[in-house]
Amino acid sequence: MSVESKKVSRDEYGGQPETSAMHGSGWNVAAACIEPLYNVLVAATEVLLTIDLPYVTEKSVKLRCPANDVVEIYAETSRKITFKDLGVKHRHGEFTCYHARIRIPVPVDEARINSKFKRGVLEVHIPRLK
Amino acid sequence: MSKKPPQADPFRIAETGTIPKKPVVISGLPDVGLVGLLAASEMISSLKLNEVGAIESDLLPPMIVLHAGVPKSPVRVFADKSLVVIISETAIPVPLLRPLANGLVDWALRKGAELMLSLGGMAVANRQDIDAPKVFAALSEMALEPRLKGAAEILEEGYIVGAYGLMLRKCTEVSLPAITLLTQAYYNYPDPVAAAAALNTVNKILDLNVDVSGLLRRGEEIRLRSKDMMHRTQEELARMNKAHEYDLPPLYG
Repeated sequence: MSVESKKVSRDEYGGQPETSAMHGSGWNVAAACIEPLYNVLVAATEVLLTIDLPYVTEKSVKLRCPANDVVEIYAETSRKITFKDLGVKHRHGEFTCYHARIRIPVPVDEARINSKFKRGVLEVHIPRLK
Repeated sequence: MSKKPPQADPFRIAETGTIPKKPVVISGLPDVGLVGLLAASEMISSLKLNEVGAIESDLLPPMIVLHAGVPKSPVRVFADKSLVVIISETAIPVPLLRPLANGLVDWALRKGAELMLSLGGMAVANRQDIDAPKVFAALSEMALEPRLKGAAEILEEGYIVGAYGLMLRKCTEVSLPAITLLTQAYYNYPDPVAAAAALNTVNKILDLNVDVSGLLRRGEEIRLRSKDMMHRTQEELARMNKAHEYDLPPLYG
């Protein structure tokens, strides 16, 4: 898993602007990307972000903070996933990655971000700025 | 004379097959971690239950779900000779929770149900660190404890928000035995491992042999297939203030 805190351009991962992060349904066929389920918990001293990433291994997870109020996650899936694999025949598309830009609601110290990956769920801890 | 506007029909079970006498009625409604829905769905396929009815309500979203090309209500009733299993393939809108809870208990009473068994999740913050999710049980009366056969720990204090809480209280009022099983789970991620733990407890309580290996083997596929359902459910959980379950009850005995 790689973690970067440098500021990068929005499109470095071929990413989407934050306003379209959910793509309506969370399945972005054009980018072959799935919007994962995630949860942001603001605690007293840190922000805890978790992201559900089935079909992902730890080494394919890339995290970065393009701004001090945004965390961007990108992860390639361990295999190509199609709608047909998921029992859907009337839609066509295949997916090879997850991608999300997640707004953090309080100022955080993105240089001290750390994370762990267990049971297909990524857990990201980011200290809050005092 | 002015005509009265038609009244909304909040809850009705349309029976299309045989409902067993004195059944155990199992509810697998979508809530925390989709535990109940995943567990009940596995029961339906593993035990090859027949579809015997559908829940109709003007408070449900205006939708149908297609299965094998046949349009169906997203909230359906399945049964064999002793079990009734109710599942919903759509998030239950908050305005429907009370009519649904009351309607299900009234219907179960009319069918002479011997037990209402509800399957749900209990959100835990450290779910990632838990290998074997624990199952807790809330009872309509403490005399039901032996029926748990030690497979679940009794929940004595706390809040239950949503249909299951309302159903449990109504069951107490009408003296219909009821057990609500709440399994430790991710709050807003589909949790097939928790569903398997819930099913193992159901197996013990009801002397069933539902195979849970599919839930574990196909865990990643189930999580991804259920992603959108979980997202819709999460919106309803927020509307019903599900986080209230984290609160400590202020009164003491």
